Amino acid sequence: MSTTQGTHSLAFRVMRLCRPSFHVEAPLRVDPSDLIVGEDIFDDPIAASRLPPLIDAHVTKLTDTSDLTYRTRFLLQHPSDSFGLTGLLVLPQAFGAIYLGETFCSYISINNSSNFEVRDVTIKAEIQTERQRILLLDTSKSPVESIRAGGRYDFIVEHDVKELGAHTLVCTAVYNDGDGDRKYLPQFFKFIVANPLSVRTKETTYLEACIENHTKINLYMDQVEFEPAQHCSANIVKADEHKSEKDSLSREIFKPPVLIRSGGGIHNYLYQLRSSSNGSAQSNILGKLQITWRTNLGEPGRLQTQQILGTPVTHKEIELCVMEVPSVINLDKPFSVHLNLKNHTERELGPFEVWLSQNDSLDEKAVMINGLQTMELPQLKAFGATDFHLEMNFFFCLLAISHSSSMEMKKSSIRPFSIPAENMLQSFAFD
Amino acid sequence: MDTDTLLQHEAVSQSADPLSNQFGSLNDLAHELASLQDLANRGSWRSILDKVARARSHSLLNTPHDHLTYLAYNVLALAKLRRFKDALTELDSVDDFDSHHYRYETYPKIYPTRCGSMVPFSLRWLHALIPIKLGNRQEGLDRFYILLDFVRGKLKEKQDYDVSIKMWKKREVFVMNGIISEHLKNKEFGVCLDLIKDLVSRGNLDPVLLSKLGHIQMQIGDLEGAKGSFDKVEKLLKERNAGGDDELLSEVEFRNQVNRNKALVYLVGKDYVSAVREYEECIERDPMDVVAINNKALCLMYLRDLSDSIKVLENSLERVPTVALNETLVVNLCSMYELAYVNHSDIKRTLSNWIARVAPDDFDSSSTRI
Repeated sequence: MSTTQGTHSLAFRVMRLCRPSFHVEAPLRVDPSDLIVGEDIFDDPIAASRLPPLIDAHVTKLTDTSDLTYRTRFLLQHPSDSFGLTGLLVLPQAFGAIYLGETFCSYISINNSSNFEVRDVTIKAEIQTERQRILLLDTSKSPVESIRAGGRYDFIVEHDVKELGAHTLVCTAVYNDGDGDRKYLPQFFKFIVANPLSVRTKETTYLEACIENHTKINLYMDQVEFEPAQHCSANIVKADEHKSEKDSLSREIFKPPVLIRSGGGIHNYLYQLRSSSNGSAQSNILGKLQITWRTNLGEPGRLQTQQILGTPVTHKEIELCVMEVPSVINLDKPFSVHLNLKNHTERELGPFEVWLSQNDSLDEKAVMINGLQTMELPQLKAFGATDFHLEMNFFFCLLAISHSSSMEMKKSSIRPFSIPAENMLQSFAFD
Repeated sequence: MDTDTLLQHEAVSQSADPLSNQFGSLNDLAHELASLQDLANRGSWRSILDKVARARSHSLLNTPHDHLTYLAYNVLALAKLRRFKDALTELDSVDDFDSHHYRYETYPKIYPTRCGSMVPFSLRWLHALIPIKLGNRQEGLDRFYILLDFVRGKLKEKQDYDVSIKMWKKREVFVMNGIISEHLKNKEFGVCLDLIKDLVSRGNLDPVLLSKLGHIQMQIGDLEGAKGSFDKVEKLLKERNAGGDDELLSEVEFRNQVNRNKALVYLVGKDYVSAVREYEECIERDPMDVVAINNKALCLMYLRDLSDSIKVLENSLERVPTVALNETLVVNLCSMYELAYVNHSDIKRTLSNWIARVAPDDFDSSSTRI
């Protein structure tokens, strides 16, 4: 079997067969009334009645193939003719960029450009990447019997692109040429697969995913779904439609698509996460995002992110918030503080005891606070909350300094219950 | 065109007899207009340039509107021949469309019963389009939007003139389509969708427009939206058959539009066999439906039948050259040649030679990529 560099009877011709696109071009076509007469001529009643029939006589539609004029390149026949999209499809004109998650599709034609028939043609097509070699087509079990002089054998191959970087489409043909020699023809077509998207996430109990488009074309987001890990549940948070649709007809026609602009456009998705376990499993895996997009004429692409990790947070079971404190508080006059206690778990908790704690600091303070010693609150159901009020009082605390060592200031020391700093406090004014 | 020339014409021309037939033929509208129109129909734009030059140099143009009509044909011809710089220079000779020089009432001896602007509307449109063609997109788009405002202003003014209102409404659609085309070309799909919504809400429930909306949705990848739009078009066809009336679209055209929409849905779902079937129905009904012919050929190629796809396109060029000979079809055919033949330059040259003999002056021969 010779693999000489001598001339081959056969040659591979390859064309990427991604979807076609619509030809878009603002046509240079006019309404004859806009060319041959002044724009206000129809204000003249004589012109208004005599001109239209005259012009119509010269705008007959092409119904006869023997009418050898190119008037459809010049005159508008229907108002929508000036809309630069006729529906004519164009074949892909260049290989273009190819991205992870897309499907590579190619028309492959093996041509016999010699003057002799070739026989017993075994054709193979493979994709070679850094990591592997994937077979797309192999006719060795049933070789093509013959390709006549000037003839062709065509096939179409498809491959889901799952790796980044350099790819080579390797086409090989083994055949008997006109002289009876067994020849081997390899041909290589290289292309590079790039990453179409980057996904950045930010989370607390909400997961914000920002999808950025790195391709050269706009991406239509067909489906973006967050698949939570086993211990989580998630639901998407969407903004309300704030544009009031004044026209119900146009509202019916279509809902605005989610389209991410090429070359760096972004779109954000927001999911509310809930932990569904008893909280003891401190797994910080939140889940993955499944993204399906479409480009030209619905050409699909699919990607899944890796597991998205959350920052391990010890979730509070109970939360105590200060809701309201009077803006003016007088010394020695009792005042009421409005508090709220929330149960963040899925199970019933309680009953509770709430009491006022003094500052743990050992520093003496001139003004101190006292109030109800303890207050009992009943059980809270799962995710329940309750409002309550505590009466308190500011008072002066005089330190009596005495020489007697037997006098001691009594301080109450009570175990504190944490109150989140963000719910504190306005300024107090003293009388 | 300066004031002196125009005033001269006013003095020289006879007073128009309101009872004489000013609208008997095209030539009544402007000097040798029928010949200009015929040349334009044939795509003989170079001949138009010659004719305009000769008429000017031999002082054959006697009225202000003659000058304007010839100017309009000249600018259009230059634009057709892709000589946009020259077109701009020519347009610049009209420095202000709203000047009194271009109003009928300035010449009461020639136009005793008329008032208003005698500027052909296409000049205003070309004034906005040509900067875009020269690469000055922002300027052109600004002019387009200003033109749209101008047209809407006229619509308010002309409430009492039925025929005028019809014309200005057509012009409003024309200008909006021009704006949409420009945004579409730049892939600004969001804007396009908004503008189409606007067109539809102004009462243009046009099945062709709705179909084009479906096409754009499809181009973006919003297949559900596209199907919705196409379903509405089909509904409109049923309503029409039930007694509606659409003077603008014939029965054949309407049905073909629906079939072509259906074919696209199949094509996008990769059911090329069904798409071909829909296109064949179109061609059977209207053998000059070049969109169906072209798209059918593409489907055959996606069905691995390169030979037949080439035959369909070659056959259409032979059978109906005046509709089939368009740049997009030629680009597709040449792409197919490049795939089918190792030595494709020969066959492309044959095609190119045929085109040179048959094509109109404005045909862009770079589409053969030789």
